[in-house]
Formats: sequence, C-alpha cells, structure tokens
Amino acid sequence: MRSLAYLDAGSGSLIVQAVVGGVAGVAVAAKLYWRRLTSRFRKQPSKQD
Amino acid sequence: MVAPPPVPATFTTAPDSPPRADPGSFRDPANRVFHADGQVFRGLGPQAAEDWRALAGAEFFGRLLADGKICGTETADPETLSANPVGQWATVLRHERIPFVSYPYEWSFAMLRDAALLHLEILRTAVPAGFTTKDGSAYNLQWRGAEPVFIDIGSFEPARDGEPWAGYRQFCQTLLYPLLLQAHLGLDFQPWLRSRIDGIEAGELRKLFGGTRRFRAGVLKHVHLHDAIQSRYAAASTGTVRAELKDAGFSRELVLATLGALRKLVGRLDWQPPASHWSGYRETCTYSDADREAKERFVAEALAEGDRSRLVLDLGANDGTYSRLAAGYADYVVAVESDPAVVDQLYRRLRADGERRVLPLVMDLADPSPGGGWRGVERGSFAARAEADVVLALAVVHHLAIGRNVPLPEVVDWLVGLLTTAGAGGRLVVEFVHPDDPMAARLLANKPAGLFPDYRREEFERLLGQRCTIVRRLELPSGTRTLYLGTPRDLGTPRG
Repeated sequence: MRSLAYLDAGSGSLIVQAVVGGVAGVAVAAKLYWRRLTSRFRKQPSKQD
Repeated sequence: MVAPPPVPATFTTAPDSPPRADPGSFRDPANRVFHADGQVFRGLGPQAAEDWRALAGAEFFGRLLADGKICGTETADPETLSANPVGQWATVLRHERIPFVSYPYEWSFAMLRDAALLHLEILRTAVPAGFTTKDGSAYNLQWRGAEPVFIDIGSFEPARDGEPWAGYRQFCQTLLYPLLLQAHLGLDFQPWLRSRIDGIEAGELRKLFGGTRRFRAGVLKHVHLHDAIQSRYAAASTGTVRAELKDAGFSRELVLATLGALRKLVGRLDWQPPASHWSGYRETCTYSDADREAKERFVAEALAEGDRSRLVLDLGANDGTYSRLAAGYADYVVAVESDPAVVDQLYRRLRADGERRVLPLVMDLADPSPGGGWRGVERGSFAARAEADVVLALAVVHHLAIGRNVPLPEVVDWLVGLLTTAGAGGRLVVEFVHPDDPMAARLLANKPAGLFPDYRREEFERLLGQRCTIVRRLELPSGTRTLYLGTPRDLGTPRG
C-alpha cells in the first residue's frame, strides 16, 4: 500500500473539482451529496440501538 | 526513454563543497534536493525511487525532457558522489542546474501565466499515461531565460484511479488566484505571493470578488464555490472524501476535464496596464541619440573585456536593451526592474524571440526580495542569490540616492558587494546622473533643497574610487551623465 500524499489536498478542494469538470462531474458531485444525505438517515437508527 | 538534454555543469561556484541540503526542499519527506560539488542532486526514498523508475521508462516523460519542458535529470552513479548524505537515499538523481533561481513573486503576469500553463500541460500529458503530480505549486517551476521549466521531478507519482488532482488547491493558491487578481482587478499579485508562502486563500480572494465581480471568468467556481465547499467540508478528512468520490464515480476522464477547463481559463486570462501608464513612462526616458550610441559602445566594451561572464545583473533593466546586449557576452543575464508592466512587456518580447539567456524579474531595488518561509531561508533572499561577475547599474543610482534617500556611500557599497564572489574578474558598469540632469533635477525638486549635499559627481567618483579601481570613465555628449567601469578592490580596504 502506498503512503498517503504529503500534501493536505483539502476535502473541499477535491470535491469542487467534480463541478469544475463539467456535466459528468456535476453528476458525480450530486451523487456524492445524495449519498451523504441518505447515509445520514440510514445511520440514525443504528445510533439509537 | 529519450535521452535527457545534457546536464550543463555551469555555475560550479563551489567545487568540492560538502553536500548541503536545499533549505527549500523539505516538505515532501519522500525526496530531498541537495547541492554538492557545485551540482544539484535529488535523493529519493524507496517509494520515490520506485516511482522514478516507472517515470524514467514512460514515453511521455522522455518527450517532455527532450522538449526541455522538464529540467534535465539523470540517475547519478553513487560511486561518483562524494561523502554521503547520499547514503541515506535509495537512489540519487542529478539535475540540470538552473542558472538563477527565482520565485513567483519576482515574475510578471505573463510569466506566472506561462508557468501555470506549463504546469497544466505537463499534468495533461502525464494523466493519460497513468501519472499525476502530488502537488500544484508555482514553486515547481523555474526559468531558463524566458522559457519556463518544471523542476519538481519528485512530484510525479503513479495516479490512483478515481481520485481528483491533489495539487488543485495549491495550483489555485499560488497560480490561478494571483492571475485572477491581476487579470480581473488589475492588482499586482507579487506582494501577495511574497508575503504568503502558501499563496492566496480562496476565502481571502472571495472578499475581493463580491457583487457582479463574481461573474468574471473562473471566479464563481474556483473562488466562491471552492471556498463554500471548503468551509462546508472543513471537518471531513481527505481520505474519506477521496473514497466517497471514487464510489460516486470520479474518473480519470473527469480529472482530464478539470485540467482542460483550467487550461482554457488560464489561457484566456490576460492583463495590460492602462494606456496612461506608458504615456507617463515615455517622458522619463529622455536620451539623445548621441548619448544612447556612446552609452551602448561603453557598455559593450566593458562587457567584452576580460573573461566571459557567467552572470550579469542588469539593475534597473527598463526595456532590456542592455540585458540583451550583455547576453552576447555572458552565459546568463538577470534583468531586474521594479515596474511590473515594463517587466511584463520585456518578458513577452524575450519569449517571442525564444531568448534563453535573459531572465526578467520584478523587484524594487530599494526593497529586494527578503528570505522567506521556514526560518527565513526556505526561499532565498535576493542578496543570497545575487552573486554576479558583472553588475550593470545604468540610470539607477539617482533613483536610490535621491528618490529613496539611500546614502550615496551605501549605494556604492551595495553595488560593489554584489561582486564579492567574482574575484578579480568582477566588473561594475555604473552611470552617474549629474544633479543638473533633467531626470535628477525632477527627483530633487520633490525633496527639500539641500537634502543631498553629497549628490555630486566628484563625491560619487571619490566613493567609487575607494571601493573600485576606475578603469575608464566617459561623460556622455549631453554632459549631464557619466559612465564608469570599475573593478572591485580588495574588500578589506578601509573606506571613508
């Protein structure tokens, strides 16, 4: 396994590149947001266990 | 692999010197640049050495090397290296020596833009071949005259599929944002980069691009959106986000699309100073033809004497006439000028001519680049880098002595001090503008009468004579300017 890059690439800076990349990228960004959103709802019941 | 261009062994200022780690090369622990025997080496750790082997075998890399877009690099034979910090590295590379190291805060707008375009071009060539760069810094680039060159070989690594470019933020902060600042707002970017080693933050720049300014090319996405997403994801680790992006379908094609969009944006950015800048400027350049001819002849003769120069510093280079002249007699010329618009125009002309021996730099001589970064040495001060064997100081002394109140003895000390390492071959070509010259008179008119009693030709000549042997002097036909050729005396000589 390779070691991680030495530079902090910045989480926001990684995500914004999807939007910069055009239509296909916006789709990736939308998918990412959707998954984050739905995972929040999915996680909630497990927390109450 | 295509053979790299030969690694020139010029500028071997310190033969047999012990290996010295470069103070500007510590951020990536996987490799380190060091200097030994007047040459430049790069030590690679085990992972970096493996990456280098893959890179050296890649067709794209050989092509970029052959085109001169990446600095000449070859694997060094460990047997030929003297005592080893070398021993701690798996592999050692030998690099082409860059004639004069400069920094982005000393470049003009078009220089920074061409540097950014080269960085993107290299990346756009590397990505389809399965490589990327770990970072995206303006400090990855240097110059051979007016030709940018990518120097950070340690930055290349095999790309991991599904990951965005790790260097994008750094590219924005040190290249794109300074360009936006100048192209859209007309603000000189140099002071911003000089005072911030990591460049301009998105949040900082966003404040300057409020209202309708946010709709200027590139601003909405790369500045506003970038800053907003940065704030929103401040707590998310990059590891998690990388994994999520990969799951969501981020691909190599998307990396290329992002790079393509950046390339298009940077290529469109331009800056021209307002027309009033030039009309004000021309009035200040008043030489008669006879003066100009005599001056050019004097300078050419001074340069032609003695050994060929390695480095000429042209201080107050203006339109670069004398820098170009000097390039005929020297390996390399650094043309220093304080007006960013003048440097920008000079650079564009040199670039169009394919000039590789004249490096134009933006710098105020009364406020030259200090050391910067960690311990103030990560970026070298101008004083530490300026080891010339010829100094041209034409029409510049009055600007320092009258315009900036620098005591005349200090001006002369400073000029001669730039030749400290030149030894007996050092030459100073300096022009003294008499107080009754229209240009000097204009500067004097802005200061209280009697403020500069020492600003006289006799006094300048006395001061110069204490520090230099005056080989020749020439009063220009107008009678208000005198040129001197001096060779420094032993610096131990007491001065008055």
